[in-house]
Amino acid sequence: MSDGSGAGRPEEIELRIGAELTNLPIIRSLAASIAMRADYDLDAIADLKLAVDEACSTLITRASDGAGLVCVFTVAKDEIRFQVSIKSTSDAAPSSDSFGWRVLTTLTDHADSWVERNGQDGSRPEHLVHIALAKRRADGPA
Amino acid sequence: MTNTQSSHAGNRSDTGYEHLTPLFTELANLAEDDPRRSEVRNRLVTGHLPLAEHIAARFSNRGVPREDLVQVATLGLINAVDRFQPDRGTDFLSFAVPTVMGEVRRHFRDASWSMHVPRRLKELNLAINAASAELSQRLGRAPTPSELARHLDLSLEQVYEGLEAGNAYHSMSLDEALSPNADSDSLGETLGEPDSALAGVEDYESLRPLIERLPERERQILTLRFFRHMTQTQIADRIGISQMHVSRLLARTLETLRQGMLTDDPD
Repeated sequence: MSDGSGAGRPEEIELRIGAELTNLPIIRSLAASIAMRADYDLDAIADLKLAVDEACSTLITRASDGAGLVCVFTVAKDEIRFQVSIKSTSDAAPSSDSFGWRVLTTLTDHADSWVERNGQDGSRPEHLVHIALAKRRADGPA
Repeated sequence: MTNTQSSHAGNRSDTGYEHLTPLFTELANLAEDDPRRSEVRNRLVTGHLPLAEHIAARFSNRGVPREDLVQVATLGLINAVDRFQPDRGTDFLSFAVPTVMGEVRRHFRDASWSMHVPRRLKELNLAINAASAELSQRLGRAPTPSELARHLDLSLEQVYEGLEAGNAYHSMSLDEALSPNADSDSLGETLGEPDSALAGVEDYESLRPLIERLPERERQILTLRFFRHMTQTQIADRIGISQMHVSRLLARTLETLRQGMLTDDPD
């Protein structure tokens, strides 16, 4: 029916939302809620929330007009993965030398970004910029 | 604890406590395990109670019940009595007043909610906050929701509800209304540290003035989290505020920096 990934895997949670800063609280609460219900400790919950906030803000500033963020959370046994994507006219990936990237790598166990370049022959190229994060469950008795 | 007593003593607070001064020297000279310690300490605390009531009164009519404020101020007073060192040459009042005021201000921060949050949820959130501090001490790390549920004898759903209520917490406008340099004691030692640590970051030049403009406490939290890699719980313990409060301050600081970068440097 929709053009989403459609697989509907039980551990996946997908959110499509307008690329507006005012939408950040919705994405943040979803992140916090997922980590909380996976019984992560309060530090990890707060870290994931901040990291998702940072990643989405980074992509929102690159969004082409009217583009929406696609956020996918994947809840594995001891890891929550988050991937956010945006259509952008720029094909530059977020720099890994920026302060924002340091924030992401401090808050998570894994951070990555890449660009799928599209529309070489179109009048207006529209690339897909992705950021992927992973937060592992802290050691210790769960 | 009568009103007449507190207002009377409050009015002459400059001079009303001299008779207690020798007790501090006495307390300092008693051995750790001397049974007389708690007696002397009690006399010092009760003797200075009017001071706590006086400070609490200065913060009344700001949406927090008077009796809560007196309780918090009294806690601050007990802290001050315990931490005061008479051989340092300052008198107790000039040490205690900022300590007690700091405690009351902190309470405003930790207790300032949007008005529509039901009392039950506020209490739930405060209970979780307290339990979280206690469990963090015991475990050496932040607790999980299930550990909180077990500790508080609540269901997991109740803990989730209480944690989520924290999101509706008033976004600290009361903080700003209070003092701009609240609790600036004991900070400062990490000043200048982000500077060297940031040197390798490509947006260093636009970031530096933004970090310098941050309030001292925010800058310290930023430094401890992103340059010293302390957890929020460790930072909370170090600075003397709750982990949830650290979390809110960090979120706000990062947002400030992001916005500043956007306006400074239109990519």
